[in-house]
Amino acid sequence: MNISGEITVAAPRAAVFDKLKDAPFFASCVDGVKDLKEVDSTHYDAVLETKVAYMKFSFKVSVEITNLSPPDTIEAKVEGTPIGVVGRLTATSRTHLTDSGGQTVIAYSIDSTLAGKLGSIGQPVLKAKAKEMEKKFTERLRAAFAAGETQ
Amino acid sequence: MATTTIQGGTVGSQIGRSLPRLEAREKVSGRAEYTHNLSLPGMLHAKIFRSTIAHGRIKSIDVSAAKKVPGVHRVVTIEDIKTVIPNPYYGPAFHDQPILAHEKVRFVGEPVAVVLAADPHVAEQAVQEITAEYEELPAVYDEIEALDSKVYVHEELKPAGTFADLKHLTGRKQTNVALDFKLRRGDVEKGFAEAAHVFEHTFRTQKVLHLAFEPFVSIGDAKRDAVTIYTSSQGPSFVRTEIARLLGLPENRVRIRVPYLGGGYGSKLYIKLEALVTALSLLTRRPVKISLTMEECFYQITKHPCTFRIKSGVDKDGKIIARKCEVFWNGGAYADVGPRVTQKSGFTASGPYDIEHVHVDSYALYTNLTPAGALRGFGIPQLVWSYESHTDMIARALKIDPVEFRRKNILKKGARQATGTPVNDAPLEAILERIAARLAWGKPIDRGSGPVKRGRGLAIAIKAVIAPTTSVAVLNVTADGSPILYCGTIDMGQGSDTAMAQIVGEILNVPAESVRVVPRDTDVTPYDMGTLGSRSLFHMGHAVRIAAEECRAKIAALRKELGEPEGSNTPVGDLFKKKYGMQAGNIVGSGSYKPDYIPPQPGTGMTTNVAPFWMVAGAGTEVEVDTETGKVDVTRLINVVDCGKPINPKIVETQISGATLMQLGFTMFEKMHIDGGQVTNASLADYKIPGILDVPAVMENEAIDTVQPNGPFGAKGVGETATFCCGPAIANAIDDACGVRITELPLNAETVYRALRALENQPLEDE
Amino acid sequence: MTPFDLVEPTSLKEALGLLDADDPAVRPLGGGTALMLMMKAGVFRPTRLVSLRKVGGMSGIKAGADGSLTIGAMTPLAALEHSAEVARAAPVITRTMRRLSNVRVRNVATVGGALAHGDPHMDLPPVLIALGASVTAVGPNGERTLKVEDLLTGYYETALEKNELISSVTIPAQGARRAAYIKFTAGSAEDWPAVGVAVSVEAAGDTLKSATVVASAATTKATRLASAEAALAGARVDDKALRAAGDAGAQEADIISDVRGSAAYKRELIRVHVGRAVRQALGDSALAANGAH
Repeated sequence: MNISGEITVAAPRAAVFDKLKDAPFFASCVDGVKDLKEVDSTHYDAVLETKVAYMKFSFKVSVEITNLSPPDTIEAKVEGTPIGVVGRLTATSRTHLTDSGGQTVIAYSIDSTLAGKLGSIGQPVLKAKAKEMEKKFTERLRAAFAAGETQ
Repeated sequence: MATTTIQGGTVGSQIGRSLPRLEAREKVSGRAEYTHNLSLPGMLHAKIFRSTIAHGRIKSIDVSAAKKVPGVHRVVTIEDIKTVIPNPYYGPAFHDQPILAHEKVRFVGEPVAVVLAADPHVAEQAVQEITAEYEELPAVYDEIEALDSKVYVHEELKPAGTFADLKHLTGRKQTNVALDFKLRRGDVEKGFAEAAHVFEHTFRTQKVLHLAFEPFVSIGDAKRDAVTIYTSSQGPSFVRTEIARLLGLPENRVRIRVPYLGGGYGSKLYIKLEALVTALSLLTRRPVKISLTMEECFYQITKHPCTFRIKSGVDKDGKIIARKCEVFWNGGAYADVGPRVTQKSGFTASGPYDIEHVHVDSYALYTNLTPAGALRGFGIPQLVWSYESHTDMIARALKIDPVEFRRKNILKKGARQATGTPVNDAPLEAILERIAARLAWGKPIDRGSGPVKRGRGLAIAIKAVIAPTTSVAVLNVTADGSPILYCGTIDMGQGSDTAMAQIVGEILNVPAESVRVVPRDTDVTPYDMGTLGSRSLFHMGHAVRIAAEECRAKIAALRKELGEPEGSNTPVGDLFKKKYGMQAGNIVGSGSYKPDYIPPQPGTGMTTNVAPFWMVAGAGTEVEVDTETGKVDVTRLINVVDCGKPINPKIVETQISGATLMQLGFTMFEKMHIDGGQVTNASLADYKIPGILDVPAVMENEAIDTVQPNGPFGAKGVGETATFCCGPAIANAIDDACGVRITELPLNAETVYRALRALENQPLEDE
Repeated sequence: MTPFDLVEPTSLKEALGLLDADDPAVRPLGGGTALMLMMKAGVFRPTRLVSLRKVGGMSGIKAGADGSLTIGAMTPLAALEHSAEVARAAPVITRTMRRLSNVRVRNVATVGGALAHGDPHMDLPPVLIALGASVTAVGPNGERTLKVEDLLTGYYETALEKNELISSVTIPAQGARRAAYIKFTAGSAEDWPAVGVAVSVEAAGDTLKSATVVASAATTKATRLASAEAALAGARVDDKALRAAGDAGAQEADIISDVRGSAAYKRELIRVHVGRAVRQALGDSALAANGAH
């Protein structure tokens, strides 16, 4: 499954880059991330709890920043397992920042695969959720920059 | 509405009777026995922990939490299996498939560990507690990519030694090609050079699967030096041989028992769960049952996706003079019977046409997907999809009528098919004309109104039945004359028990209903190669015939011995009473049948006797295409098949309509969706198979009036025949209706719609 | 499946007491057909299911003197399918039932269950929205009424509290309005629709006075297409107007891709089926035949 798109924020690129590479900030934009722990400067562990209506899913995830190339590229790998059921969540993300006047265009592409029972027969439910998470992420990111959190 | 045109036999004869299936009442009233119903004392249930990655080395498997779940009896991995089966690899063509993943996993869903418990829910719960660490490796999913990829699914090829023509592959490394079949006749390049026109197309088919109503289920019950396996299998003789080999036991210590199957379609062949339940039973010293869910069927066995590159050279008179076929079969992570599909289908890859220069390369490829194996048609539907679409495209391009073009090129009686075998008893011309007549091909049709466009299409195909194979049967005429038939053909819903009873009844001159066909049990029912490839009616039919004829001869001899007058019709029971002074004794006859066969020459595929019979089919369709949505309504589906003289016309009709409806699903909408190696629609809620509302409004099922001279009572098999032509007939009709040509299955509405938009130069955006 | 408690209260009060406002693992159970699928898929693991099977007074179809229909929440869909009152008051429901899932499901699934589940692929919710239906929901704080279009809030989400139940559905008298529902399946006819379009129109001669247009299956919830409705209000019933309404609706709808179709394709389907549904509602037999899958 691939989700890709572009978000424009009213902030200069360097500030956006700095913000995005900050794991706690990034995590705060993703709906459902809890217990973020830094393992080292490029590795993080977290719990991702998400729900679709009354259905709850929890994943233990490990994130690795695989490529941090200022001023424009951030790439990461996520690997996780759903808690309580056999499965595996993997994702690779590419984010590319472009200057556009005083604004920054954030182009992202996330490839994810969900294996195991959730992946084999739970996909319809979870696919819709991925779209919703993307929307929320975009909202929170914009809100963060609009509120002037560009220190 | 379905009409059937199948000629019955004469009154009083068992051959040609449309006898209702002998087990019908039992089945519809819920009394028939299936492996699912069986429970043995002390039995454990096993649930499977499966790989979540497509390709990787197993670093560790942590079963500690699973073991602690209350009610869990044991948790097993390949290391445990090796203590009872030291060399735990099986497969009909390659011994490449481990009983549980060994060192590597090669597809998402591969069994890695097993939890055993008396309560299957406990076992299922405990499976969720197992974790495994893998070193992930790159994976390859596409058959064309696999051909040249440096990602190798297997470190080396391990031919089983059961097939002589695979021996040369032993130890081969750094390849994903499990088999490369070659057929060379004449000189294709010369043919192309001489041709007035050359056409080249590529066709593809998708990954689909059988989805028998009854999922896989097996019970292993191992004792000290013998094992009994109760299993839903189409080939108990092979299971016995293979289990005996794995255990180092003589065959007579391995017993395979098979009741009715809730469908098979090729999925339940060779080894599926049998080796695993056997190993688990050996480890626990208790009977062990594994019963897969519908979801797990998607991880067991599937149909081969296929890419077929076909190139034809046509002369100025519309005669195909050269054809080059490159067929790439996507076999998944383990070979199963894929190499056989690759080779056997290769014989007829160029189609039912008389072509001077033919070149076939048929490749079996390994990929990191659920293994592919036998599925009704055994590769032929994928080939026909390609060559009959290709043939129609050529005809249209040359502005030759598609029926006329086929007439010009079709193999006529006695002509040499691509392998060099002469084509006899293959009524291709008759079937072509019959389809054309039913479609009223010469008359124009209503082309539809508004956005709905109407069209029609046809296709014609040939298959060489798999050879050589052996069937053995034993008939026991008991003390009161009632016959018991022991034969290993599995009745999986195709009515084989009924047909065999009819053959016995005909020869012994008794009603078929009086013949008892025993459930399959390798301690009792003799050797049979397997219930597959439409072979049983012919091969087992002959074996049964021979056995019955021997009984008949022995009865005649008994009459003589007892001094009965010539032509007397004293009942057999009375003959026994006369002989023994009481109701006692029996007469036993046996029959064994293996047809002649000349193996194809390596490198050229040439043989003058490639098969004991041909299977010929034709299909014609009328469709309506809603050009505003791409929805295709198959309004009329005609199948005309050659099955020789039907033993049971009613059963033949259901085999025709059943086969074509199964293929209709594969043609119109079925598809396994795979993302990162994971099947993402592994349930009947999301993977839809045809339902009653998908049945075409008009279906015509016909067995052409003919005789197979070397068949039992002039008959031959028909199980697969109506799968061959359905797909291309529909694609050809869609082209006729609205001018779009789709070269990849399935033909769902969105695919057709996108093709229509592309034709108008207004392509639809991707998402 | 992991074990769970199944309780079978015999009164609405008892049933409400067994639900939990804060615990999503406790759910009410109607026919159970949809919930079972979620449980088999492993996406829902309840601790308690509160069956409404034995609660009295929750099923039945009553025709009101004003031409309205009140349907108990536990009424099986098959009862709607065969009901003379429904055929009289809202024949679109009778027609929709013929292709709704299959007969085995219809015998067991309930009207209330279908609405409370919030699955955007279902056939009945968009039809009920088009008919202007509303539900009565009952909870510990009493009863409230809400329109079906306000009940459905998102993907498997409804406006119901976790300790609220639908007790009945009311369909107002339709008067001169005529309705149709088109279920377009892109593959097997026995599948969820790729797109569902339900319309209810009131015509005066060959002009539409007003229209309600609802899209389902392609969207995260059954949604009224306001722009299509606006385009149809006062419009002549001709290809041009219908196409314009379809275009407007297709643009407006928030569409998700899935195995049944890409978003781009579903958009085209909405574009086409708004007009077809209107013609079908008005009884245009030629297009009714094409549209009626």
